[in-house]
Amino acid sequence: MRRAWNWLLAILIGGWLPVLLIAWWWTSSADSTDPFFPPLSQIWEQFKLNWIWQYWGVHVMPTLENLAAGFILAAAIGILLGVLVGSAPTAARYIEPLVDFFRSIPPIALVPVFILILGLDASMRIASIAFAASFPILLSTIEGVRSTNVVLLDTATTFRLTRAQVLWRVRYPNALPTVFAGLQVGFQIAFIVAIASEILGAGFGIGAFTQMSTDSFMILDAWTGVLLLGILGYLLNILFDIVERLSLRWYVGQKRLA
Amino acid sequence: MTVTTIAIAIRDVTMEYPSPEGVKHVLGGVSYDVTEGHYVSIVGPSGVGKTTLLRLLTGLAQPTGGEILVQGNRLSGAPEGLAVVLQDYTRSLMPWLTVEKNIALPLRNARLDNARLSKAQVRERIDGALAEVGLEGNAKAYPWQLSGGMQQRVSIARALAVRPRILVMDEPFASVDAQTRFDLEDLVLKVRADFGITTIMVTHDIDEAVYLSDEVVVLHGRPAQVTDVVSVELPFPRSQVETRNDHRFAELRTRIYEKVRGLS
Ligand SMILES: Nc1ncnc2c1ncn2[C@@H]1O[C@H](COP(=O)(O)OP(=O)(O)O)[C@@H](O)[C@H]1O
Ligand SMILES: [Mg+2]
Repeated sequence: MRRAWNWLLAILIGGWLPVLLIAWWWTSSADSTDPFFPPLSQIWEQFKLNWIWQYWGVHVMPTLENLAAGFILAAAIGILLGVLVGSAPTAARYIEPLVDFFRSIPPIALVPVFILILGLDASMRIASIAFAASFPILLSTIEGVRSTNVVLLDTATTFRLTRAQVLWRVRYPNALPTVFAGLQVGFQIAFIVAIASEILGAGFGIGAFTQMSTDSFMILDAWTGVLLLGILGYLLNILFDIVERLSLRWYVGQKRLA
Repeated sequence: MTVTTIAIAIRDVTMEYPSPEGVKHVLGGVSYDVTEGHYVSIVGPSGVGKTTLLRLLTGLAQPTGGEILVQGNRLSGAPEGLAVVLQDYTRSLMPWLTVEKNIALPLRNARLDNARLSKAQVRERIDGALAEVGLEGNAKAYPWQLSGGMQQRVSIARALAVRPRILVMDEPFASVDAQTRFDLEDLVLKVRADFGITTIMVTHDIDEAVYLSDEVVVLHGRPAQVTDVVSVELPFPRSQVETRNDHRFAELRTRIYEKVRGLS
């Protein structure tokens, strides 16, 4: 009961501004004759036509599939490598400058390089996403694993845990809150790169659809693409928060008590 | 005549740490034999090298000289059959594991008749250990949901669950309040009576050392050496009120206090 109240309150507090903005957009655009800024009501009608569910399979699914594949790959690479590097103090010192360098390249700039190497199919998109998104995950995992406190490690040693056990049962869970921070950043980058890779050359995907619509002056369609991207990004972030909260219950509880 | 066996033999152990001014000589030839089944306290002024000695006994560090034999074997790495309780309970329990999973973690590698423990055996060890420390109802709690004293009980339960022959504790009760401290001391006495585990405890509290121990070892000096070994011949079972009011308790405490201060 109290929980339900808290949820409702959170939704009200977090929701009033978006609601206000949409209402403002809706009313101020209602009489618009500018071809580039059609009324929101028209965009909405077109939105329903396009995405429920006409183009769902053609454009939305490819985007979501590439995003999921790329992100999961990035998470696997980042976490695995991060745990190994983070638990070897000298290794981290050698690898970090390199990682910092690659991370500093704007992720979208990498897409043309990947197109050159892998062509225009899905593997290029997945590789670009995985590459760009793995850096924040890698760095935060290294950081989290390395910050395991000495008392915990001593305890593990005296109880004769094996090296593998120390890695996966002490260092890795200890790093998890930090890892999630990296996953969140990585996920945002993955989303950006997924769409950018479609804009820069694809026949399918929400990014491709939006780009093609703009190119052929289908302004209404372009707007529905942008709207869909906003809604998707928002929902995926909420999903991400829920997964994080469920995985880190111990961490959230401990922080609340501290 | 009873035959005494030696659980841990500390032979002329020296320990040096590298420091900006060359080396820091912390232990200078420490020798002492821990009798099987005894409760031994190591006392000494702060910074004398008690924790250092303990780290050597538990295989967390290697001595620069001398040798340590555990059950007759020269120590290399953390010895089997030895469990450790550290002072810092807030950081020695895994915060992402519940109490029972914390206790179960070291049991993954435990062997009974050369076989891994079965699920039922692990359950039995957890329940037994929790009952021993009086935390039956808290198996599913997370450590941070418990008070300091309860967390330290969990550490003790985790140590007991591996059925160690030797229990090593570094200032186990230093960061809990006075009442909890008395409770935990009596808990340790009960554990000792129930299982007869050889116990080595570092403490800076002389009263606590006398109350719990068969023998108190005094470390003093830089580099530190054993300056006194005091046999505590107070009868068991001991009680916070009677034992502490025994005139021999006061005499022992005075003697040890003077040794710790380097007065005699
Ligand atoms: N890892 C280390 N490196 C350098 N000096 C250390 C280290 N550990 C302990 N020392 C030094 O050794 C001395 C003894 O420390 P310690 O064994 O912790 O004393 P105690 O537990 O008796 O208070 C102290 O002077 C301390 O600064
Ligand atoms: Mg100490």
